[in-house]
Amino acid sequence: MTRLLDLYRHRALIGVLTSRELKARYRGSVLGYFWSLLNPLLMLAVYALVFEVLLPNRSPGTSPYALFLFTGLLPWNWLASSLTDAASSLLVSGALLKKVLFPAEVLPVVAVASQAVHFLLALPILLAGLLAGALGLFGPAVPLGWPLLQVPVLFVLQGLFLLGIGLFLAALTVHFRDTRDILGTALSLWFFATPILYNLADLKGHGVARLLAWNPVAPLFAAWREALFFGRWITPSAWGLLLLLSLGSFAVGWAFFDRLRDSFPEAV
Amino acid sequence: MLAPSEVVPALTDVSFRVEKGETFGVVGANGCGKSTLLKLVAGIFRPTSGRLEVDGKVSALIELGAGFHPEISGRENAVINGVMLGLTRHEIERKLPAIIEFSGLSEFIDQPVKTYSSGMYVRLGFAVAIHVDPAILVVDEVLAVGDEAFAHRCLDTIHEMSARGKTILFVTHALSLVEELCDRVLYLDHGREKLAGEPREVLAAYRLDVSAGEGVRLAGLHSRDQEALRESPEREARGEVTGADPAPEAVGGPDEPRETPPRAGAADPGPSPGADAPAAERPRRWGDRSAEITGCRLLDASGSERYAFRSGEPLTVEIDVVPRRPLDDFVIGIGLFTPEDLCVHGTNTDVDGLVPELLDAPATVRVSLPRCDLGAGTYLLDVAVHSRRETPYDYWRGACRFRVDSPVADAGVYRPERRWTSSGGVRWRTP
Repeated sequence: MTRLLDLYRHRALIGVLTSRELKARYRGSVLGYFWSLLNPLLMLAVYALVFEVLLPNRSPGTSPYALFLFTGLLPWNWLASSLTDAASSLLVSGALLKKVLFPAEVLPVVAVASQAVHFLLALPILLAGLLAGALGLFGPAVPLGWPLLQVPVLFVLQGLFLLGIGLFLAALTVHFRDTRDILGTALSLWFFATPILYNLADLKGHGVARLLAWNPVAPLFAAWREALFFGRWITPSAWGLLLLLSLGSFAVGWAFFDRLRDSFPEAV
Repeated sequence: MLAPSEVVPALTDVSFRVEKGETFGVVGANGCGKSTLLKLVAGIFRPTSGRLEVDGKVSALIELGAGFHPEISGRENAVINGVMLGLTRHEIERKLPAIIEFSGLSEFIDQPVKTYSSGMYVRLGFAVAIHVDPAILVVDEVLAVGDEAFAHRCLDTIHEMSARGKTILFVTHALSLVEELCDRVLYLDHGREKLAGEPREVLAAYRLDVSAGEGVRLAGLHSRDQEALRESPEREARGEVTGADPAPEAVGGPDEPRETPPRAGAADPGPSPGADAPAAERPRRWGDRSAEITGCRLLDASGSERYAFRSGEPLTVEIDVVPRRPLDDFVIGIGLFTPEDLCVHGTNTDVDGLVPELLDAPATVRVSLPRCDLGAGTYLLDVAVHSRRETPYDYWRGACRFRVDSPVADAGVYRPERRWTSSGGVRWRTP
């Protein structure tokens, strides 16, 4: 528990390391920070091309499909890249753990935090898209209004959820390096198992729908959709579930990480 | 994860206490646990058993510039490094000018550190680490990098910190530095505490052990040479070498490095028939083997075989000679060389006035030096048996290798007894 307070004490360190990550990432590239905006747009273009033109989506509830996709893809990008970075964060900075007195938990936290910044940078693009959608530029008008206020809360909950899994994966990878290799495939399976390309409600009746309901991030992505795309308020029971999942993830991830902490300097 | 058999305890039964303001040195061979000890003190590792108490903020100069990011500037890295070492952003911004000044990198401070040389990297790392203002400074062999001027600066800083009452833990292989800086020294051997106390005493013990260790290694080389020697008569019997032919025959194995370059023939105690041969092809052993050297050993005062000596100790060379036929003309000689092939001393029975009468059975000849006043270093011994007209029977270069250790850091191959006296306006502090 005192360690958790330490994590708060290290906020300056987390801050400088996160800004270092961001600075270093775009140093030397011509477009710099624009990539944070451009990348999701390009990805959106690819998915829109595939699912609007090549394999047209037939569910009426998901129209306009480009916006529908975007509201799922952005949080997913944050999830996938955070976890990938977090999983190798301890190994990449092995020198720090071995040679300097360095709080190891800071590393996966920085991985999640710097990807959160990318997410926040892309958010204005999404809002612009939603505004255009509300004006009916993409077909049926998207409802846009007060339910957007739920976004900051969802952001915090997803952050907490990712910290938990990130800490868990970081600690696991130190002792079980295969994690990094498995993670890529696992993430793409997870992507299709999460209601991003489709609406979970559209699968009612399928046997697989009941299986997919067990996906721990399904409620989170459904909630993003509710707030951003459908413009609805999330029900209190859904909030309760989200809070439970996020706190649970963080508690388990932290406990696992803390348990293995002393082994890191020698094992990385 | 490591299997239990792969786990080696790095430190066992080590116990010490360093008072505030002390400078404490740790010495020992590579892998003896010095760095592990420092990492324990720095809090990087945690002891698996035992107790460790550290009172005060530690700054560890173990890996300078660890965590520098190559893509961003020296200035930004210095800030981040300072925060990593426990400063607040505000403190580090305030100290930044002093850090940059100390590092001497003001021209390059806004370049990405990937453009820095390793020396510059370390300078910046050191500059940040000492500006953290720790109560305890842990220094692990970091002064070896950086140029001379910067090394002096680092040493000055360490002196200054020690004068300001900081506690310093210090690991280095530069023993003279330990002697200069430390109040007390701990000598670790295979993760165990061997000795702790006054630097002079501990370092003398350490130096002696190091040379004894080398003695074991040299003895190993020696027995290999001796085995090679035992093989050579068989080769002769197979007719690979004709007895009358003084053609060179290398005795060492094919992979034996020829560590002795050719030497001036005039310096040899015996004949050197290979003098006109191309330098690289000079043999290690030659002669017609009318008499053969079958063994050569170094003995200490108690008569036991040894290849590491302390300067001034008695030393005896023992040579086994087997004649093939009765000889009335024979001289037995030794020559002492440095690895750089400087002849330190050469003598033989003839020079020393022993007149040969008969050698008709296996014999052992000893020459004793009551005081071997050689300076610290490795030496090579040549042994030879030849005729008085210098026809070689068996000349063997580098038959023995041994190590001499000096109790103090004097220089050269000769270590005479000496006494300093003075008069007039000069005074010496009594130790």
